[in-house]
Amino acid sequence: MGLGFVEVTERGEAGKPYFDHENGEELMHVEPEIALVFGTNPPESPGTLYISSKRVVWLSDLDRRKGYAVDFLSVSLHAISRDPEAYPSPCIYAQIETEAASGEEDDSDTSDTEPDRKFELSKVTEMRLVPSNPSHLDTLFNVFCQCAEMNPDQDEEDGEDAGWVFGDEEAGDDDAALDEDSGWCFSENFANPIGHSNGVKDNDLSRTILEFQIDDQRFDDAEEMENDTHADSRR
Amino acid sequence: MLFFSYFKELVGKEVTVELKNDIAIKGILHSVDQYLNIKLENSRVVDQDKYPHMLSVRNCFIRGSVVRYVLLPPDGVDTELLHDATRREARAG
Repeated sequence: MGLGFVEVTERGEAGKPYFDHENGEELMHVEPEIALVFGTNPPESPGTLYISSKRVVWLSDLDRRKGYAVDFLSVSLHAISRDPEAYPSPCIYAQIETEAASGEEDDSDTSDTEPDRKFELSKVTEMRLVPSNPSHLDTLFNVFCQCAEMNPDQDEEDGEDAGWVFGDEEAGDDDAALDEDSGWCFSENFANPIGHSNGVKDNDLSRTILEFQIDDQRFDDAEEMENDTHADSRR
Repeated sequence: MLFFSYFKELVGKEVTVELKNDIAIKGILHSVDQYLNIKLENSRVVDQDKYPHMLSVRNCFIRGSVVRYVLLPPDGVDTELLHDATRREARAG
């Protein structure tokens, strides 16, 4: 299952998208008269939004071959935007995780020679959904939340270095385990860790903030501690 | 599940969530679930010059897997307690 948007060119009965019922995909919500906006592109013609338990599917009302879908697994953030400075119409704003992207704006030297050149769907990292009736935004937002919660990440990457690292032991030299996808870590390398920061209040707020590194792996794999054998001899 | 419980106690406080794509969003922690998905209220992007289009989004749902850091209010952290709890949980595993 890839990340990012895909095209949907086929429709089932009553013009609805095909759902993968065998794998438990269910239709959760239908929102007619809603425009889709990719990034900074102009809005697509009005369409209908189908939110299933796995995907968001938008189908054009005018062009039966035109539609787009994105898995909830790729929707990294969604929000209600009512600020006219951010976007003229109230909308659902969402960020999409794509296969290649992950942060890098690599299109600086390519692809944007002509604005209305066909954009690359798989690289779309932002979308807006603009319902004709803004009072539906809260409902849409809540359906998005509900569906996002139904689609937690599967175990992706590594399992090995998802262990625990305590800053007061060997975090300093063993920081290979501290890279992005390692487990949680406490760092006590701050000059003023919480609890010991007497009288430096106005000094540097960021120092008094304990940072956590969050990990995709949840806490269900504590047995991996074995592989990790950090220097804690207390067990 | 320790941090799930821990984060639940921070509900109502202002936190800053930094995402893996470098965007940092500040807001009131509305709720958190077992996947550490985070819902913020009255959220706004910290670096507004860089991300003007996200100037202020009311409610915001952030997928747990895209979170890099959560910056906490200092008064929401009892380090000693948290240390004990994490060690206990690590040993229990």
